[in-house]
Amino acid sequence: MALVEINNVRKTFGELEVLKGVTIEVEKGEIVTIIGRSGSGKSTLLRCINGLEQIDSGEIRIGEQVVHAKSTDLRKLRQHVGIVFQQFNLFPHMSVERNITLAPILAGRVQKGAAARELALKVLTQVGLAEKIDAYPEQLSGGQQQRVAIARCLAMSPDLMLFDEVTSALDPELVGEVLKVMEDLARQGMTMILVTHEMGFARNVASKIVFMHAGKVHEQGPPAELFANPATPELQNFISSTR
Amino acid sequence: MREFGIFDVLTMLWAVQWTAALVVIALIFGAPLGLLLAQMRTSSNKVLNLIALCILQIVQGVPLLAMLMFFYFGMPMFLGVQMPALVSVGVVFSIFAAAFLGEIWRGGIQAVHTAQSEAAACLGLTKWQGFRYVVAPQAFKIALPATVGFLVQLIKNTSLASVVGFVELARAGQLASAATFQPLMSYACVAAIYFAICFPLTHWSRSLENKLNGAR
Ligand SMILES: Nc1ncnc2c1ncn2[C@@H]1O[C@H](COP(=O)(O)OP(=O)(O)O)[C@@H](O)[C@H]1O
Ligand SMILES: [Mg+2]
Repeated sequence: MALVEINNVRKTFGELEVLKGVTIEVEKGEIVTIIGRSGSGKSTLLRCINGLEQIDSGEIRIGEQVVHAKSTDLRKLRQHVGIVFQQFNLFPHMSVERNITLAPILAGRVQKGAAARELALKVLTQVGLAEKIDAYPEQLSGGQQQRVAIARCLAMSPDLMLFDEVTSALDPELVGEVLKVMEDLARQGMTMILVTHEMGFARNVASKIVFMHAGKVHEQGPPAELFANPATPELQNFISSTR
Repeated sequence: MREFGIFDVLTMLWAVQWTAALVVIALIFGAPLGLLLAQMRTSSNKVLNLIALCILQIVQGVPLLAMLMFFYFGMPMFLGVQMPALVSVGVVFSIFAAAFLGEIWRGGIQAVHTAQSEAAACLGLTKWQGFRYVVAPQAFKIALPATVGFLVQLIKNTSLASVVGFVELARAGQLASAATFQPLMSYACVAAIYFAICFPLTHWSRSLENKLNGAR
């Protein structure tokens, strides 16, 4: 059984139908990369997956949980589904350690104090920032902040991680360090759904590419195939426009 | 008739405790109410939002003096019991503080609200935890200068309580003036005391403001 099943999901904002029946399956350990033009509904889809947005019809299932079922405790669900945004959204009034340990402490996963600090150190080491444990977000570069945001997710030991254009707000020279962290995660078997404009990364790391167009999955497949033989003119156009 | 003297000054200083009492009462009851109003105004629930908005509009649209008159002279007719001045005046200033603090804090909350509370929600925090640990501390910092600024307004506005005979600083000044026929001295003294209280606060508010702007 797939870890994530997105089945014929529809979503409207007022008059605007943003998702027009989206179906995607993600196996455990898979890296699914969503590509597509701006406005095609990629962010909306990610936000639906962790229940930040309601859906009009269809179903999203993560593990045993149907995200939009009445009985689903979104809080519990989100403790297993991390999301990283373009704008980092670190808590500016907290140190890096506190940013990372706040949620695990409140969720009762770890004791305040030495144990929490150890957890912070562990995940910071994963993103190569152990020495910044006592820094504040404003003292970090964009790339470092984004890595802390990833570490903050990792501290909850998620089963699934969502990434929404996490390198788009970064200076070009800082993109690499964030992509490298994501590659490491991919290698360690983390299940990831990510939206990105980094085609090189999508090509090398993804197990599956999903091309979204006009609120639908227009084409999907393994990167090698999809990039070599795009079946539709829309994808051909999109690929040539990103070169 | 007697001369204006140290006795009058001491009486006024003694009356400051009642000015202070009004301020404290207004804050004790007004601050939690204001927090509630701010929460309602920033909630996604349209009904709560509208209720809060109506309350705010009414309070901000009615002069404080009229509210004092209403609660002191009007309400007893309606309820059939005369409340002590401290109660009716306390109620009015609590409502006044709630409305203004509510709007000040709403501004602070909104300045940090969407992205930050969403980030908190995404980490599995409850709404309350997100407010308590993520939004409130940042909103507090943003709203602190305006909050201290409002405190100054509140202190000055408690002088209106004198119209219903509540003896606080301003009323003590009136009494001294009537007893000594020296309004100039009496009211200058009142003004000096208000200034001595408010000036440091204004100064503090301004330095907080500068710090906040410098930090961004
Ligand atoms: N909260 C919202 N309210 C109204 N329209 C929205 C909202 N969020 C997104 N949209 C609209 O939905 C469409 C898809 O947006 P989005 O999912 O952000 O696309 P993408 O991430 O692919 O660029 C856009 O036209 C956008 O304006
Ligand atoms: Mg987007």
